[in-house]
Amino acid sequence: MASRTLGEQAARPPEWLALVMDHLHRIFGLAVKEVQQLSRDRLLLAFLIIGPLLELLLMGSLSGGGVENLPLAVIDQDRTRASRGLIARLDRTDELRVARYGRDVEEARDWMRNGDVAAIAVVPPQYGAALADPKRTADVQVIADGSHHIVSTVALGTVEDVAAQIARDLASADPRTSKGPVDLRFVARFNAAMEDQPHAITAMLGMIVFQVALVVAAQSIAREREMGTLEQLRVTPLGRLDLMVGKALPTLAIGIVDFLMMMGVIALWFDIPMRGSLPLLTLLTVPFVLVQIGWGTLISLVSRTQQQAMLFVFALAMLEVAFSGFLVPAGNMPPVMEIISYVSSVQHYLVIVRGVALRGAGLNVLWLPGTALVALSLVLTILAWLRLRMGLDSDSLRQRLTPAWRRFRCWLKDVCHRGRGRKDVTQREWTREPVEP
Amino acid sequence: MSLKRLTSILVKEYRHILREPRTLWMVFLSPAFVLIALSMVFTSGTSRVDLAVWDQDHSALSRRFIRTLSSDADFSTRRVSDYEEIESSLIGRSVDAGVIIPPGFGDGVKDGGTSSIQVILDGVDTLVAGQATGSLLGHAADFGAQLSRQYLVPPPPIRIKPQSAYLPRTSDRDSMVSGLIPIVFSLPVIAAALALAREREKGTLETLVATPVRGLEYIGGKLIAYVTASLVGLLPVWLTASLLFGVPFRGSPIVFLLLTVDFLLASVGLALVIGNLVRSQQAATVLSLFVFFVPAFFLSGLTDPIDTTDVLSTIFSYVMPSTHFVTICRGLFLKGASLVELWRPSLMLFGLSVGWTALGTLVFKKDIT
Repeated sequence: MASRTLGEQAARPPEWLALVMDHLHRIFGLAVKEVQQLSRDRLLLAFLIIGPLLELLLMGSLSGGGVENLPLAVIDQDRTRASRGLIARLDRTDELRVARYGRDVEEARDWMRNGDVAAIAVVPPQYGAALADPKRTADVQVIADGSHHIVSTVALGTVEDVAAQIARDLASADPRTSKGPVDLRFVARFNAAMEDQPHAITAMLGMIVFQVALVVAAQSIAREREMGTLEQLRVTPLGRLDLMVGKALPTLAIGIVDFLMMMGVIALWFDIPMRGSLPLLTLLTVPFVLVQIGWGTLISLVSRTQQQAMLFVFALAMLEVAFSGFLVPAGNMPPVMEIISYVSSVQHYLVIVRGVALRGAGLNVLWLPGTALVALSLVLTILAWLRLRMGLDSDSLRQRLTPAWRRFRCWLKDVCHRGRGRKDVTQREWTREPVEP
Repeated sequence: MSLKRLTSILVKEYRHILREPRTLWMVFLSPAFVLIALSMVFTSGTSRVDLAVWDQDHSALSRRFIRTLSSDADFSTRRVSDYEEIESSLIGRSVDAGVIIPPGFGDGVKDGGTSSIQVILDGVDTLVAGQATGSLLGHAADFGAQLSRQYLVPPPPIRIKPQSAYLPRTSDRDSMVSGLIPIVFSLPVIAAALALAREREKGTLETLVATPVRGLEYIGGKLIAYVTASLVGLLPVWLTASLLFGVPFRGSPIVFLLLTVDFLLASVGLALVIGNLVRSQQAATVLSLFVFFVPAFFLSGLTDPIDTTDVLSTIFSYVMPSTHFVTICRGLFLKGASLVELWRPSLMLFGLSVGWTALGTLVFKKDIT
């Protein structure tokens, strides 16, 4: 029966199917034109395909190791075996290295102002004696460079960690020394060695996919507009939705190809395991790229030149980075900011990437950020479509806006007159009163 | 080199910027606008640690421990009753760490011994994990001190007395806002790269080549136009940082102005090299983002300080103008450093401004012939 209906359709296709085929044909034509235009600029094509890979390789190898080898100044006022042991332990950590030995704090503070040291550790006199005596506590002072918040957090944390190690060693050697009544045992899930690289690399992956998709989408219509070829496109039978879909398809393809290639580099070069399912992650990358296409289309519809589009792109990119929680853990925000932060797609995507790739999560845990991405892409597409409907050349926009503006001005004048009138009356009444008596 | 031709290029560039009100707005005001938006995000966030607590003990002591946790402003706690819930909240990032109090916790402490508490961290986000570790260790030490007074247990052998120079430890906002100033200035700087690429794309460059204007005059005109235009944007940025967010400025304003000019010369020079390399504005945008966007956050020392023991990453960081300007901004705003103390980044920046501009002119000359 199915074959019979198919045969009938082939003989006389219904109207809607012909319409759909017609649209698909136009969209395909536009997509082919876009690809041809992109491949004509060889350098641009290379930037779009090879650029992300190179950037990820370079940035991943250069940074992403976290905070390492912070220069530390040590002021040893004790000069015993115990104090030298503490200094050697500090030097042995990944985070710190003993760069200088100082005589007093003033000298070390000058080094810090120059940027030569990031932290100062002062080992007090009688440090060794205090360690040997279970009733006493040795106070080690640590001064960290507060002008760089991550440096100070890491430096203080590392010294506290070393102190805890020494306390543990002393306790196991001498039963009289106490570990204290409460002993915290830490277990790091998903990344037992607490390496920084997976976190940084996934952030780079998200940001690179984001920037490539956004730039291609933002410049595609802005370019046609600046060159004046958009008017030619608008007189073809291409509809508004056709135009948007045709422009979006090549961008989507570039985004997904870049994503897959970078995932390959992450697995093979950086040796970061893939704990979840790659198809799921690829599936969730599609709405993420669609959100960027939505932003890009919207940007290229509101900007008149490519320069403006680029400035919008960069401003948006900065905000996305801020909200993504990459610079500063931006987790605990007041409710208003929390709601605004839901607009940030990078934030949702990083939860998804880290969830699937590093923590092995499935859709049952990640449905919330996934839904947020899909909803965002829908809203942005509708907004872009509405903007396209309003007309792109400044005249048509003015035609639509002028009557509304005139009406608003009339209303404003009305309100002002009424307000002034009343004020005049009260003023007259007010001035009359003191004259009368 | 003729001053007259240089001025005419300069006038032409200013007209390009002033002609479009939107471009004008974006070149002058966008840095301040982005700085406000970024800083709003940082000021609103607190460094609170979200915990999922699973109490298996249900003793008076475990309840007391949880009560002290929830009354501490550093933590916000949520009660859970199985391990699965901790794990799924960690994956969904609704909590930062899970705390499990095992059965027998209260009895162990009462006997004068040591009882352990298990903490499950999310190892992926190492910064948050480190913060959670530090706060929990500090909290457990306070709690232990209370108990040791009660049960007469000796004090711990070493105590670290932390102190943060220049800033109280919690104020990472000042450090962030002052470090972001170089980053927000990439907006007008990239506009320069596109201005150059546009001439090539539209073919107006050929017209210019036919005039007596020389390469150095052309590049110099573009450079001066965009450096001065960005410099106007410095005032709103400075006012935003100082008045709106109350970041202290402890250095000398004249030194700051001089070094900003130096930084803008180096950055616009780098942008002009990019604009020279490509044939279209689209390619210029992509390349500018590759150079100015991701490296600005990962290589400039804004978040992770530069590891000077790694030669390759030091070289890549040092050729970026923003790396040195991040150091300078933090030094001038927060440390009150003088030009003498900032000689190294200032000298590097000067070298970069000469180097990048020279390279831009060189590449450009080659292209014309």
